[in-house]
Amino acid sequence: MCHRTVVAVQREIEMKGVPAVLITVSPEVSAQMRPPRALYPKGFKIGNSLGRPNMRELQKKVMRDALGLLTQNTRPGSIETIEYPEYGEQYEPPHVRSLK
Amino acid sequence: MTISRKCVPFTPFERELSKSTIAIVTAGGVHLRDQKPFNIADELGDLTYREIPPDIDSAQLMVTHHHYDHTDADQDINVVFPIDVLRDLQSEGIVGGIAKIHIGYMGYTMQLKAMYEGTAPEIANEIDKGSRADAVLLTGG
Repeated sequence: MCHRTVVAVQREIEMKGVPAVLITVSPEVSAQMRPPRALYPKGFKIGNSLGRPNMRELQKKVMRDALGLLTQNTRPGSIETIEYPEYGEQYEPPHVRSLK
Repeated sequence: MTISRKCVPFTPFERELSKSTIAIVTAGGVHLRDQKPFNIADELGDLTYREIPPDIDSAQLMVTHHHYDHTDADQDINVVFPIDVLRDLQSEGIVGGIAKIHIGYMGYTMQLKAMYEGTAPEIANEIDKGSRADAVLLTGG
């Protein structure tokens, strides 16, 4: 749910003319709302948007990559996936049940 | 999977990151310890948001949210609200500055219409008029 409403906020910010980038750890849920720009750090669990506690170098890398999307030619509505092996154990993100 | 049929708003970023001021917005229920906690007793959710100043000690931040495990954020708020990370990036010259206002809200709500038509544009307005940010980083939690 948070990963849906946050895209609504992002879209409103974009409509004010301020570029915005989302870090989502629930990419299928966020994708339903089509975020203007988004990064999925692969395998990070909910509650770990930037990585694990006190892993500052990893957190910096994730934030740099997210902000880096601002300057790249990304496709609005799509989500970029980047892998961070230093995160350690990977988690499966929540899946959206198909309505079909 | 259902996809929003509304077109995607997209503002090109035409600045240099190293000269840009960044604001953080999180749906992860982050607020200052002396601010009113989000109302997690209400099943409908809480549509309010909290303004977080740029110069706070991150130990003064906490999470009130009952729809995700925030044990890690309790140890290090930067996993959902990377204010110290942003400070590091500023001191390294990667970003230009830290915006005057950052936002925490609780992304869980059953009142989606009120969230989409009320809270979301109010937060955007706060960012636009109050924070003076050149760009925004959001986290879902």
